Amino acid sequence: MNERRPNSATRMYQICYEVQNALSVMSHHGEEGRNLRARLLAGDTTASNDVVAAYLDGLADWLEKLYPQEHPNDCSTAAADAVLAFIRSPATYDPEKQTLEKYLRMSADGDMRNLLRSERRHMKRRVNLELAEPSVENQLRDEEADPAHILERRIDEAETDAKLRSLMPDWLAAGLVPEEIQVLGLMRIKERRTTVYAAALGISHLPFKEQQKQVKRAKDRLNKRMERMASQDD
Amino acid sequence: MTDRIAALARRVEGDDLFLASALADYAHAEDLDERGLAQRLGCSTKTLVSLRLCLKPDPKPVVFRREVDRIASRFEVDAGVLAEAIRLSDATRAMRDKTGVEDGGLLMAARDRHEDSEGEGS
Repeated sequence: MNERRPNSATRMYQICYEVQNALSVMSHHGEEGRNLRARLLAGDTTASNDVVAAYLDGLADWLEKLYPQEHPNDCSTAAADAVLAFIRSPATYDPEKQTLEKYLRMSADGDMRNLLRSERRHMKRRVNLELAEPSVENQLRDEEADPAHILERRIDEAETDAKLRSLMPDWLAAGLVPEEIQVLGLMRIKERRTTVYAAALGISHLPFKEQQKQVKRAKDRLNKRMERMASQDD
Repeated sequence: MTDRIAALARRVEGDDLFLASALADYAHAEDLDERGLAQRLGCSTKTLVSLRLCLKPDPKPVVFRREVDRIASRFEVDAGVLAEAIRLSDATRAMRDKTGVEDGGLLMAARDRHEDSEGEGS
């Protein structure tokens, strides 16, 4: 049976129609951004609410897709930062160059990177402080330092190890890999953030939901181990 | 109204640029909760979120009146209460800047002063 195929004129008409539609949508978006910018610059006090209503959710959703491994709250914060920056300085957006949506996406992406950078710095500092890992810098200095300093540092490191051990009984730490010891240490200091555990487990590159799953699995495993050891003790 | 928008409306309560800050000061001074504030303004709690995300009008009299009317008619709230809330907040912040005091009592003082001046005028 012969299928009825559209002839080339019909196909061409369809393509023109779709292009026209796409251009109309793009121009509508461009107009909306231009209009909101003009209203903000003119001092229309209700324009800020309209900017938030029109762009915040779309922007946060876009960031969640772009950064599936990060916490959705971080995406919302970065999206909000970008929207607020535009409301504060609408003149920085040039409607001749791009749509407001594209402008906000670039801005939100930058805010997200900054947010993640500062979170990672904070997380690293915290993990270092709480678990006091010997730093690479210290190891590198060993060869140059005089014996008195080496001895002093070794004592510090021993104290650090003791501090780490004090977070958990020896029988519990025995047989655990370093990542598990870190997770156990984090559990002991009542750390709650998945991203911190993910960093300890070396799975920060995975999507956030997967991180949650693996962190839960690791914590469950350690909890069971603790229960089992405790019951053996009894 | 999504959770993200409601969260942002709360976040800007500390930002003097937004109406949220004035509404927070007013609610604090008048001891109003969310529902009480909405009732005073004559709107729903959902509308409060949109109000909070508006910018605070410039205090220059002509602009102030025009913008208060614009917000009031757009969101169907009481323009008188809205104007009172903004003036009360501005007075409080001005006093706070002058005295450097972060005391909640200033809000009460600002409200009393506002009520006194209204009484004198009438």
